Amino acid sequence: MSKERIDIPDYSTLFTEERYVQQRENKKQFEAPCSDEAKAEALAYSKSAEYLEKNFERKAVVINPHKACQPLGSVMAALGFEKTLPFVHGSQGCNSYFRSHLSRHFKEPTPAVSSSMTEDAAVFGGMSNMIDGLQNAVALYKPEMVAVCTTCMAEVIGDDLSAFIGNARQKGAIAEDFPVTFANTPSFIGSHITGYDAMIKNILSQLFDRSGQTAAPGTGEEGEKLNVLLGFEPYTGNFAEIRKILNAFDTKYTILGDHSGNYDSPANGEYEYYYGGTKLADVPKAANALGSLVLQKYTLKKTQEYISGTWKQPISSLSTPLGVKATDKLLEAISQLTGLPVPESLKEERGRVVDAYTDSHPYLHGKRVALAGDPDLLLGLIGFCLEVGIEPVHILCSNGDVEFDGKKWKEEVEALLATSPYGSEATVYVGKDLWHLRSLLINDPVDLAIGSSHVKFAAKDAGVPLVRVGFPIFDRHHMHRNPIIGYQGALNLLTLIVNIVLEQLDNNPSGLVDLVR
Amino acid sequence: MEPIRKEELDDQACGSMAPKSKPCPRPKPGEAAGGCSFDGAQITLLPIMDAAHLVHGPVACAGNSWESRGSLSSGPSLSQYGFATDLGNNDIIFGGEKKLRDSIDYIAGRFTPPAIFVYSTCVTALIGEDMDAVCKEASDRLGIPIVPVNSPGFVGSKNLGNRLAGDALLQYVIGTGEPEQETPLGVNLIGEYNIAGEMWDIEKLMNQAGITLLSRITGDARYKEITWAHRAKANMVVCSRALLGLAKQMESKYGIPYFEGSFYGAKETTYSLRQMAFLLNDREMERRVDRLTEREENRLAHDLRPYRKILKGKKAVLYTGGVKSWSVISALKELGIQVVGVGTNKSSDEDVQRIADRVGDDTEYIPEGGASRIIKTVRERKADIMIAGGRNMYVAMKEQIPFVDINQERHKAYAGYEGLLRLAKELVDSMVNPIWKLASSPAPWDKEGSYDR
Ligand code: SF4
Repeated sequence: MSKERIDIPDYSTLFTEERYVQQRENKKQFEAPCSDEAKAEALAYSKSAEYLEKNFERKAVVINPHKACQPLGSVMAALGFEKTLPFVHGSQGCNSYFRSHLSRHFKEPTPAVSSSMTEDAAVFGGMSNMIDGLQNAVALYKPEMVAVCTTCMAEVIGDDLSAFIGNARQKGAIAEDFPVTFANTPSFIGSHITGYDAMIKNILSQLFDRSGQTAAPGTGEEGEKLNVLLGFEPYTGNFAEIRKILNAFDTKYTILGDHSGNYDSPANGEYEYYYGGTKLADVPKAANALGSLVLQKYTLKKTQEYISGTWKQPISSLSTPLGVKATDKLLEAISQLTGLPVPESLKEERGRVVDAYTDSHPYLHGKRVALAGDPDLLLGLIGFCLEVGIEPVHILCSNGDVEFDGKKWKEEVEALLATSPYGSEATVYVGKDLWHLRSLLINDPVDLAIGSSHVKFAAKDAGVPLVRVGFPIFDRHHMHRNPIIGYQGALNLLTLIVNIVLEQLDNNPSGLVDLVR
Repeated sequence: MEPIRKEELDDQACGSMAPKSKPCPRPKPGEAAGGCSFDGAQITLLPIMDAAHLVHGPVACAGNSWESRGSLSSGPSLSQYGFATDLGNNDIIFGGEKKLRDSIDYIAGRFTPPAIFVYSTCVTALIGEDMDAVCKEASDRLGIPIVPVNSPGFVGSKNLGNRLAGDALLQYVIGTGEPEQETPLGVNLIGEYNIAGEMWDIEKLMNQAGITLLSRITGDARYKEITWAHRAKANMVVCSRALLGLAKQMESKYGIPYFEGSFYGAKETTYSLRQMAFLLNDREMERRVDRLTEREENRLAHDLRPYRKILKGKKAVLYTGGVKSWSVISALKELGIQVVGVGTNKSSDEDVQRIADRVGDDTEYIPEGGASRIIKTVRERKADIMIAGGRNMYVAMKEQIPFVDINQERHKAYAGYEGLLRLAKELVDSMVNPIWKLASSPAPWDKEGSYDR
């Protein structure tokens, strides 16, 4: 058919054609109230140092937020368990946002339902919505567990989840022994990571309590296993990588909250609704494991408290292990918890990554970067930057309110920065938005910005290339399939960053071309 | 917040023939339902590109919805900014009105927008904020229109939100300005959001026919042009479900006649242009439109030939809402495609009637959502392609079904004559891609007889 093919441009090129440009020019007349000069002036001012200060004094309004809300995190947490249906108790819109938000990042369907509360629910409470909703959802989607989280609506009217679910059982809407876990996750507190934490903690505790078991760490068949928790993990590739590492150690383990199956299922001709996930029966057993390995300690605050408090397990808490040093620490932690030596294969892999570091370092040395993201990811990224000679300059944490341990986190970040001369230029911002970041990028320029797709506009305005790392990444494909943790992840991160630097060199306006690099 | 008369709104939100038409289907608890009214209101108003859009509520309502629309702008980008008052725990208890006032002041001072739209959310509606009063006070003080949009998520579906946004326009915007010069042949487009630039293609056609597009409501719109929408000679309602009420009220208030039309498919496009000319009541214009549409149709017929050869006799399942549910059927039929299944989940009675007028008796109606239900139809009817919104795309991919995105996240414009050509190309490209062969054939070692087990 190629002979007959007609060239039909899509909008990216089509609308640059003269006739369209003209059409748009004509529209300028409506663009009052300000003149072109006034606009240019305002734009220039928004880029000035004076405005930077004003911008940081801003209290009232958030401009370009870079966090999502608690229930979104809870939905992701629920999808980490086998045949578990996330159920969002509130008006239907939120759920629809969560589904498309997550789907756009992972390029996979997101099964989740809502109790679709409406005005009557606002007046009379959402009990009947909950009861009908549970009944319908179980009949329609045949889950083995339902994980209920709330939106702000249900929280403001003060719905009592525990009582509602109890009533649903009494009325026979769901069976007595059908597991329904729930978490209170108002959007006006915390963020996606707090919501993730709340749901994981509640799933663990509720399934454990139902089993009637008592915790006895390091006993029985399960006693040789390790519990592993990755946290709010936007990279499915990271699950594969941690498995590879644990398998290399030849240790047994249970991943608590593994949504990689749901977000990396094969296209084999049949969509199944539920894929993978931690087996429900494995959750109470996990209370007997020899210890727990936590890879996002700030995200999993409450969960850790629960595991150490109720399950009485030793915990190794890390932040997202990015780069060689952080991976070293990860291996040490596994070694310590299990008593197993670090395997040869990983040692060799480490050597290869160090080799890659040495190859690339001339292009990375002294590069100034801005970082934006979730707390644990940022700690990982900072560590990575420091070990390859990149200088973090602006560090913007997506979380900020009281629920988040901002002060402790900041202290840890500053201590980490203080370990290296490359960290001396950095300033850490907690609870600022991407409009703040824009001011920083423009007034104190850097070579690269590292963050999610949402950082794109600020980076564009400042003329800085963006390295896409974190959540969400809408506008690139398959980034989440490649791990960024472990030695392999360090290599991937290095590749990603150094090649953007090299591309910049190619785009150098001098027009010089060299093939040597 | 003013109490919302739910039943009445439901009726109007659903389509024209109220009270005869059935009310919007209530969302059923426990299903994966669609967006909320807040979402719907934003969809309608965000394409007013030079205005600021401030979400009054917790940061998440804004954070989750921000940057998810494919409405293109030809200039200003203020509407792209995600503004939120970011209500926290304390504000829920003590009220967020001060935060709202300060936010409005900041935006007005810093971004000097021609207007600010302020959206209520579930939270602000429930804690009883008097948004209207704050907006009015700020508007008087700052001297720019501050438009409250009372469409919290829980009042109902996305469609109802579209309609509530229309109410806000009617109440606060339309009729507050005058065009610089008189435009005797001006038409408003209502409910066209410039997804992937579709509005621009339509505008080009209108220009060629000598029809002035007076106000865009609201694709790639400027605030000012909507203020003088009442000076149009005719209204065309492009997305009937969403903003029909607006057109009707403009008819009774300003005497502007309206019609419902679509630009999907050559026939619909021609009909729409003719109808505009008819309502403008200008003989010379009618002749010009006839000449234009004939020329365009001929050219299209020629350009489409290679695609039609491939598309003829192919079967499609269409799952989309509102106007597209029937207008896209016309477009597909012109390409020789048979629609074997069509979603009616979000369709009003009139939509269903229009669907029925366009499809054969053996077409299956899919009344309720859920990806599995759509897939089942695709399988049973042996359809070659599925045409739906982005959220269903990933399920289609799992099931190895060629797919074309027809909703708001797409990057291709399908309106008008050129749009139909683009749609044809997209359909063909999606169906002939070699990956389908690869995906559906077993790996070499699984092939029968290829090796001994
Ligand atoms: S349903 Fe309510 S809380 Fe949820 S996004 Fe819509 S307005 Fe916000």
